[in-house]
Amino acid sequence: MSGEEEENAAELKIGDEFLKAKCLMNCEVSLILEHKYEQLQQVSEDPMNQVSQVFEKSLQYVKRFSRYKNPDAVRQVREILSRHQLTEFELCVLGNLCPETAEEAVAMVPSLKTKGRTHSDEAIEKMLNDLSLVKRFE
Amino acid sequence: MFCLSELEDTVRVPPHLLNGPLEDAIKEVLQKLFLDKVLSIGLCVSIYDIRSVKGGFVLPGDGAPTYKVRFRIVVFRPFVGEVIAAKFKESDSNGLRLTLGFFEDVYVPAPLIPTPNRCEPDPYNRNQMRWVWQYEGEEFIIDDSCQIKFRVENISYPPVPIERAEDAKPFAPMVVTGTIDDDGLGPVSWWEACAPISDQD
Repeated sequence: MSGEEEENAAELKIGDEFLKAKCLMNCEVSLILEHKYEQLQQVSEDPMNQVSQVFEKSLQYVKRFSRYKNPDAVRQVREILSRHQLTEFELCVLGNLCPETAEEAVAMVPSLKTKGRTHSDEAIEKMLNDLSLVKRFE
Repeated sequence: MFCLSELEDTVRVPPHLLNGPLEDAIKEVLQKLFLDKVLSIGLCVSIYDIRSVKGGFVLPGDGAPTYKVRFRIVVFRPFVGEVIAAKFKESDSNGLRLTLGFFEDVYVPAPLIPTPNRCEPDPYNRNQMRWVWQYEGEEFIIDDSCQIKFRVENISYPPVPIERAEDAKPFAPMVVTGTIDDDGLGPVSWWEACAPISDQD
């Protein structure tokens, strides 16, 4: 990343290679790491030997900080958020923090309200409403 | 947050791993090389998959084959301006230290704690200081009773020290500086009165 432009996610200046890299929500990482853990358990009798500290602790963190546990819910969340002209980064922050109101959402993701973007409060509220419906059918 | 990153690297596979499937051998070598290491793209947390494997040539004088591998890894990569949930680890007169479990070098320096505040010796922990936010006559203690949301202010990658004192803290290749001085930040219990949250712990 070039050192000239200061990085600032609030204004969505986060380096080209990250706009291309796929961002993952905590709940998605939770599914990925759990799947790996299961694979390890199938292969050897004592998976903890192979699973390093950082893997185990990351799994703990994402499990604790994911709102959505089952794969269908996770898929739905990404689907809903993808319909709203968000960047990968914004999508993941919203999916991770699950704000309840448009005001909270804008506080966490200020770039939603930058000039030229078409996110009215009503549109944001509708999106958060759709998200909260996913939680109910967990 | 976590990102999926595709990399290409030359991987040398020691011969003793070649009994089983090649992909498993390569995964094992990649894990040793990348897991828990801070790269320019972040802290590697897991190998996601292998996209392609080429080569397998044995270089002169070496007993092991070398492959050119394209693969993807899951990295933890905080962004300036991102809001992250963490847990309290410890505090001293300089400020707070927060942890994510797998990453423990998040610091909130004193100027980024909401004012007015005060710092006092922790009555439960002789060696530590604890921070208390004073707001509208009420006192809010910052401790490990609930999760703490912070916003990333800065990420630094200190250079590897050449010499270290015996009792120096373990070297941190990536240090995140955060703030809790804004709406919605700090211990979540400070904001629970405002917005009802159904399944917080």
